[in-house]
Amino acid sequence: MTVVGPAPAGAPESPAVTPAPDPPVIPGPPRRVPRVRTVPGRIRLFVALGVAAVLLLFGTVSIAIGHARNGLSAIGHTAGPQVVATADLYFALSDMDAQVANVLLTGRESGLGPGRQAMLDRYDQRRSQADRAVLQAADLASADATEQTTVRTLLDGLGRYERLASRALLLDEQSGHAAGPPPQAVLDVYRQATDLMRLDLLPKAYNLTLDSGTIVRHSYLAELSAVQGGRVWVGLTGGLALAVLIVLQIFLSRGFRRTLNVPLLVATIVVGALTAVAVVVLQHEGDVLTEAKEDGFNSVLALSRARAIGNTLHGDESRYLLDPQRADTYEQVYLDKSQAVLYLPGGNLDKYYAAVAAGVAAFPGKADFLGFYGSEASHVTLPGQSDAIARVLKLYQAFQRNDQQIRRSVTGGRERDAVSQVMGPAFGAYDDALVRLTALHRKAFDSAVREGDGALGGWNVVPPAAALAAVLLILIGVRPRLAEYR
Amino acid sequence: MVTLTRKCSSGGRLRRVVTAALLVAAGVSLATSCAAGTSILDKDSLVVGVKPDQPGLGVKGADGRFSGFDVDVASYVARKLGKQVRFVAAPSSQREQMLQGGTVDLVVATYSITAERKTKVAFGGPYYVAHQDTLIRAAEAGVSNVRDLRDRKLCQVTGSNSWRRVKDERKIPVTLVPSASYSECVSDLRAGKVDAVSTDDLILAGFATSGTKIVNAPFSDERYGVGIRTGDLDGCEAVNKAITEMYQDGTAKRLLQKWFAKSGLALSFTVPQFEGCG
Repeated sequence: MTVVGPAPAGAPESPAVTPAPDPPVIPGPPRRVPRVRTVPGRIRLFVALGVAAVLLLFGTVSIAIGHARNGLSAIGHTAGPQVVATADLYFALSDMDAQVANVLLTGRESGLGPGRQAMLDRYDQRRSQADRAVLQAADLASADATEQTTVRTLLDGLGRYERLASRALLLDEQSGHAAGPPPQAVLDVYRQATDLMRLDLLPKAYNLTLDSGTIVRHSYLAELSAVQGGRVWVGLTGGLALAVLIVLQIFLSRGFRRTLNVPLLVATIVVGALTAVAVVVLQHEGDVLTEAKEDGFNSVLALSRARAIGNTLHGDESRYLLDPQRADTYEQVYLDKSQAVLYLPGGNLDKYYAAVAAGVAAFPGKADFLGFYGSEASHVTLPGQSDAIARVLKLYQAFQRNDQQIRRSVTGGRERDAVSQVMGPAFGAYDDALVRLTALHRKAFDSAVREGDGALGGWNVVPPAAALAAVLLILIGVRPRLAEYR
Repeated sequence: MVTLTRKCSSGGRLRRVVTAALLVAAGVSLATSCAAGTSILDKDSLVVGVKPDQPGLGVKGADGRFSGFDVDVASYVARKLGKQVRFVAAPSSQREQMLQGGTVDLVVATYSITAERKTKVAFGGPYYVAHQDTLIRAAEAGVSNVRDLRDRKLCQVTGSNSWRRVKDERKIPVTLVPSASYSECVSDLRAGKVDAVSTDDLILAGFATSGTKIVNAPFSDERYGVGIRTGDLDGCEAVNKAITEMYQDGTAKRLLQKWFAKSGLALSFTVPQFEGCG
């Protein structure tokens, strides 16, 4: 126990009193009883009490500061960023499938979108991003058997997906079809691949991010309550130490008819200052932890999920064109996901487009929508956040308008127009704005963590130095008084 | 020092260490700041609201006992949480009120997760994603997706919105034949009074008998969630973990097959994408 470990430090100076782990409020063994009743005996008793109280204060400060450090480190440096990385897993997986769909949709034509090779490169890039994110998720899940199973099945499934996707790509290349739906043989294989991805792997990846968020939340709550409780304890033990030192001061000034024992007074000031500053720092660290978690981490995570779901929206547009037989399903899924991102009532896409146009036009005056952007818009805390949200919403609406044109082109039989509209810039522009909004929160998060780290700077040294100084000052203060009895 | 602790409400290792260290001086207990309000995790037994009249999902028998897929899912979740469970009937219109008022701890009653409902209650799961599908006579040929319902007679159940998804949202011209309930629809279907019944596939599967078949052309997602009081994050996360394990250990597959395999419905045996608790 750190609290009483270094207690013998004071022992040589006051050999008469047992340096027991507990403050010797009760008289020691019988033979010492008479000595406590004498004046030097009482002085030694007070000194021992004072030293014990100072060491107790040192212990509570160190433990509470340790929790603040751990909480910040978990949210700011280890688990927090790892959770955000697992959110990227969903994005990477979803984009892999979107790229496959785009390649199949392009066929042998070269003038569409970024071109076949660029899409395949992006597929590879997402694949290695997914690999890295799986590693992070596996690391976070190391303490939880259920999550570990999820990570393992996810890896197995990813292997199967890649096999199916490369088969679809190969068949597609051999068929050399024009832009638009590929031959049935290609579609059959791609359906297996995309079903595996959308119905099996993506849900698991999403749940994994939620689970990791749970780990961080529990860690945050535990550390926050330890920091807040620690603050109370620092106050209590600091008060106790002050009380003992003041009583000793009074005892000395009465017993020896001196005005003030200066070293003891300085020791009292040191203890008082340590207590006050520690309470303030712990209060601050509690606030920083909350700020990093609520304004930073939660928003970054929510927006990463919104981005990942937004990416599957774009994929659903490609798949809608790619597989006419399943067009109804992909259209419905598109609407459901759109409403998860930005919820406004509207039973079908036409009503939803109109509702989005009206809802976005009313922002920022009114924000009566739900979903990810609903909670983001109702929780504006950062400078520039409102403008960034407005930009995202505007470009989201432009993306939805583009979607409306895509579906009109299809109904009007202009398939090639539809394909080039899907590959147009609407989605990229929206996605960029969202990345910028996320970066705003990321900056707030980083600076909260940095500020918290900064406030803890030197707190390795301050408590032991202050405690040592206080103990030495107490001993220096009483030594001349004890000497009078030699 | 410990970095991560998993439980807040029950006092993790970390808090015990702190408490032990600090209790040297006095017997004051630590003030904790766990999520406000009570959690279902603090209770010994749970009251779960289920459907009393939905074949295959939740039915109240003559002996007063409930049975069905929803009931089995709720029992599994309660067992994973280490709780006793008692079932009560939860009519569709009262589900939010029952949760908010504390009459029930959980609702597992073909309770679709929607943005509007999420403003009133929270959802664990979904434990299954049902899809709107179509039930036709087994002898019927030429209906392989919802668009083939053009110019056919579709059953319209009073108070249900499912027909709108066909007629209004998909804009398919169908003739609506009003009916009081889905069980009446199914007998009308077998009697030839209607050509198709369209609603959640699990509901259809509960009614499916010989002489009818499910088209297996899903066109919407109905995410069946576990309703829970807003703010009970610990409880909601525990429910999600239980559902994950229900899929991992094969129970979900067994239960789905037990209740719905006979209908010929294409079932999904992989864990759905959760809504998230926070």
